[in-house]
Amino acid sequence: MSRRITVFATIAIAALFIGLTGCGYNDLQGLDEDTKAAWSEVVNQYQRRADLIPNLVATVKGYAEHEKDTLEGVVQARAQATGIQVTPDTLKDPAAFEQFQKAQAGLTSSLGRLIAIAENYPNLKADQNFRDLQSQLEGTENRIAVARKRYIEKVAEYNKGVRYFPTNLTAKFLLHLEERPNFTVADEKAVAKPPEVKF
Amino acid sequence: MRGNLRQLFVYFILVGALSLVSVFISPSFALDVPALTGRVVDLAQVLPAEVAASLTNDLEAHETKTGNQVVVLILPSLEGEPIESFSHLVSTTWKLGQKGTDNGVLLLIALRERKVRIEVGYGLEGTLTDLRSAHIIRQEIVPHFRAGDLPGGIAAGVQAILGMIEGTYKAEEVRHAPGQEPTSFEYLIVGIVVGTLAGLVLSHGLPRSRVLIGGLLAFFIAQAATVGLGLAAAGVTAFLLWLILQAGRGQGGGWGEGIMMGPGGGFGDSFGGGGFSGGGGGFGGGGASGDW
Repeated sequence: MSRRITVFATIAIAALFIGLTGCGYNDLQGLDEDTKAAWSEVVNQYQRRADLIPNLVATVKGYAEHEKDTLEGVVQARAQATGIQVTPDTLKDPAAFEQFQKAQAGLTSSLGRLIAIAENYPNLKADQNFRDLQSQLEGTENRIAVARKRYIEKVAEYNKGVRYFPTNLTAKFLLHLEERPNFTVADEKAVAKPPEVKF
Repeated sequence: MRGNLRQLFVYFILVGALSLVSVFISPSFALDVPALTGRVVDLAQVLPAEVAASLTNDLEAHETKTGNQVVVLILPSLEGEPIESFSHLVSTTWKLGQKGTDNGVLLLIALRERKVRIEVGYGLEGTLTDLRSAHIIRQEIVPHFRAGDLPGGIAAGVQAILGMIEGTYKAEEVRHAPGQEPTSFEYLIVGIVVGTLAGLVLSHGLPRSRVLIGGLLAFFIAQAATVGLGLAAAGVTAFLLWLILQAGRGQGGGWGEGIMMGPGGGFGDSFGGGGFSGGGGGFGGGGASGDW
């Protein structure tokens, strides 16, 4: 009798523990936080880039006043990108996410054009202030790339947790977690697209 | 009925065990991350031995004093990889800097592409900013490189980096920085629980082999963390199983089962043999690149 009780008690405790590990409750909660943190980092770095732009535009203006179109393009793209409200809900809404990444990709390409026109202005290219801003911009673009890569990895892991059996049951019925949108290859291409150079 | 129950338990055990084994797939690069053989990894053989030795000394003295880990890597070629992504890959693989303070710096030089990059860990981004890194490259390194003086440029770059980050941290506060590694303990517990359960279920009627199987499984699961934990888990599991079986049967049993777990696992944590290794720092893409 006592043997049975001991055995059953052990099995019950062990099953509970394994149940908790196997169903992925903690894993999913952790991944949820990780993706949010990775997303904050992405937004943070994009914000950092946006903060650099006014100075950059002012500097370029000093040397290349008549490149009005390009300068205005950057200012507009920046306004568009910073005008988007980013909330935690952005992650739940694929349309809002799409809008965000489109706006940022737009800013990337217009910034690329701005940097490209510097090639036509040797004085601008040699300007210390411009070079410094360019270094900072490059650094920020690199951080954005790293932050995006981290986000892509985290979301892939999170989405697997949400879709795979048996953790999908936990995600669906217990935590009410849904798949999150990720950066797309098409967007990746837009970001990597070299700016057009007009002569 | 009984058989079904058993199958179910075996299934759960497998789920439990598999959920512990996570496989990390890293993107494949045409160029492999070289081995971290020292503080100056000169794969292009451009540094005279005495320059390399004196740089290594400086870097070591700097780490003793401040905890900052600075490493120089000289590559013959990047094999088509962008310098930014490869440098990030190398620095995160090497984990330069200490865990918690992330105070590592990588100075990467690619000869054929004539590119140089300073990769800055999270914890030093405030002192060695992108702009200051760019200045070091432009003003200290590139002029030497353009004049054909690679060792001089590297030495000047290293001195400038060390001078910039000196004083950010003190060695003591770096060593006492909070880390975050609760996983080993989890492995131990899971190992014991799964092992006990497996031992009970898998071998019906044979107390001896129950203890053995349980201990073995616990060993392998906890092995994922370290060898020592594996042994501990195996021992505790065997003892637990023995106690349970003892209580269940109400009959005397030998102690012999508890000690069958010799250090059988050949795979475990690798504690580097006295050489130099990264401290677990993280990198977020900070720093600057340049060419000459």
